[in-house]
Amino acid sequence: MGASAPPVLIEGLTKHLRGGVIAVDGLDLVVEPGQVVGLAGPNGAGKSVTLKIMLGLVRPTSGRVELFGEPVRPGAEALGRVGALVDGPGFVPHLTGLENLRLAWKMTRCDERAAGLEEAVALAGLREAIDRRYRTYSHGMRYRLALAQALLGSPDLLLLDEPTTGLDPAHVLEVRHAISECAGRGTTVVLSSHVLTEVEEVCTHAAIMSAGRLVASGEVSELIGEHASLAEAYLSLVGRNGAGPLA
Amino acid sequence: MIRIELAKQTRRPRTLLTLGALAAFSVALTIALAASGAGSLERVGDVPLLIAPSHSGFSIPVIALSSTMKFFLPLAVAIFAGESVAGKDGWGSLRYALTRPVSRSRYLFSKLIVALLFSLAAVVLVPLSALVVGTIAFGWHPFTAIDASASTALHTSVITFSPGPALGRLAISTAYVAAGMHSSFALSFLLSTLTTRPFAAVAGGVGLTIVSRVLNADYLPGVAVVNRYMPNNDVDLWQHLFQRPAQTSGMAHFLLLQLAYVAIALSIAWWWFTRKDILT
Repeated sequence: MGASAPPVLIEGLTKHLRGGVIAVDGLDLVVEPGQVVGLAGPNGAGKSVTLKIMLGLVRPTSGRVELFGEPVRPGAEALGRVGALVDGPGFVPHLTGLENLRLAWKMTRCDERAAGLEEAVALAGLREAIDRRYRTYSHGMRYRLALAQALLGSPDLLLLDEPTTGLDPAHVLEVRHAISECAGRGTTVVLSSHVLTEVEEVCTHAAIMSAGRLVASGEVSELIGEHASLAEAYLSLVGRNGAGPLA
Repeated sequence: MIRIELAKQTRRPRTLLTLGALAAFSVALTIALAASGAGSLERVGDVPLLIAPSHSGFSIPVIALSSTMKFFLPLAVAIFAGESVAGKDGWGSLRYALTRPVSRSRYLFSKLIVALLFSLAAVVLVPLSALVVGTIAFGWHPFTAIDASASTALHTSVITFSPGPALGRLAISTAYVAAGMHSSFALSFLLSTLTTRPFAAVAGGVGLTIVSRVLNADYLPGVAVVNRYMPNNDVDLWQHLFQRPAQTSGMAHFLLLQLAYVAIALSIAWWWFTRKDILT
């Protein structure tokens, strides 16, 4: 594991799913420290599968994925430096929010003092509800608890899959603010979103995917170029057929 | 890891409900027997043993174990095993656990141990609660039964065990029944790694028990070829431990059969779980 290895290195990543579906097709991507990279594209573009491969949840058909220079596999040590929100929240319903966070942190086998529980809860805006059972949480609160879990221990890399799905406008702004705050402290962030205004607002870089392929990547300002917005730039790259729900 | 899993499962309503229902069964059984006079002879198993419940508190755990070993206990064990992985998948917490720097083998092992602990607790709870309630209701007296298989029209074979030996036989019987639940446990655990629906995993374990009972040569002689490999048919052999002398024929084969089911099912579960894609 090299000291100068990038947080994320993806080379020739391909994933075939059952039924002959090609979810990811020859993806190359490097994420440098401190970057906030948005994986943008419509539903079915391969963003979530890419994130799951990066987390060791899904095995690639071919290609190489490294986090901080370590090849990703289930249980890889490098995953200890990663906070994740993938496919929505996932908690034990009969435990409180705080108990869920504590148990999640114990899985890392690190001292609870290093978890930064209070800070993560505050960032997620859950201070008043943290001692309530998870099953009583609203949809938005569940997402914010998932964000708090991702933020535990101030990870070096945040992998966030559609982090603002289903949130009301006020909480969307809070989550975006929390992501920007993490980025401001030097955390590398990769987030997937089909909402291109979100990518434009939050990310320094973007990787635009369509049908499992990388269509374009670079700094957000470069990708926008002469266009009025990232959404317009996206449309010019992939056309309306691959557009999906653009914001 | 095991402590984390224990913390999650111990306070789970379904866990408490399952164990509570098994304990409540013993209480209900004792009340029903006491209310019925409890002086009449109850037939236990194919041996058969004829027991007068009111003679001793030891009668209740023997009757309770006989009553639960063919459905309630396999169901309870299948719930604990079937929920272990698929239940977490249903909550969505499985994918987060697997994004931690913990090997899947270690994670699965912790699931296995915790499910096993609760399954054993379920099996032990039935005779234990029955013994407590039975002793309160009918006293701490020697266990007495009539061995109908050794009795004739002119001779009644009465067996009596003082409390010590009765307790010893009950403990061995409980261990035997617990071992006999392992095939259902292992199949449910395997299915729990294959599906995201806990109900399907539970149903699989219970289904194996039912299939085993259906393909039983005692009732259907034509299936004698497969009878030897059915994992639940000889779970009642422990009742022969209460004969004099104790009969152990067939018990070793039954335990080896459980071992075979466990080895095959858990090997497949491990192989699959360490390779599966977590897509949901």
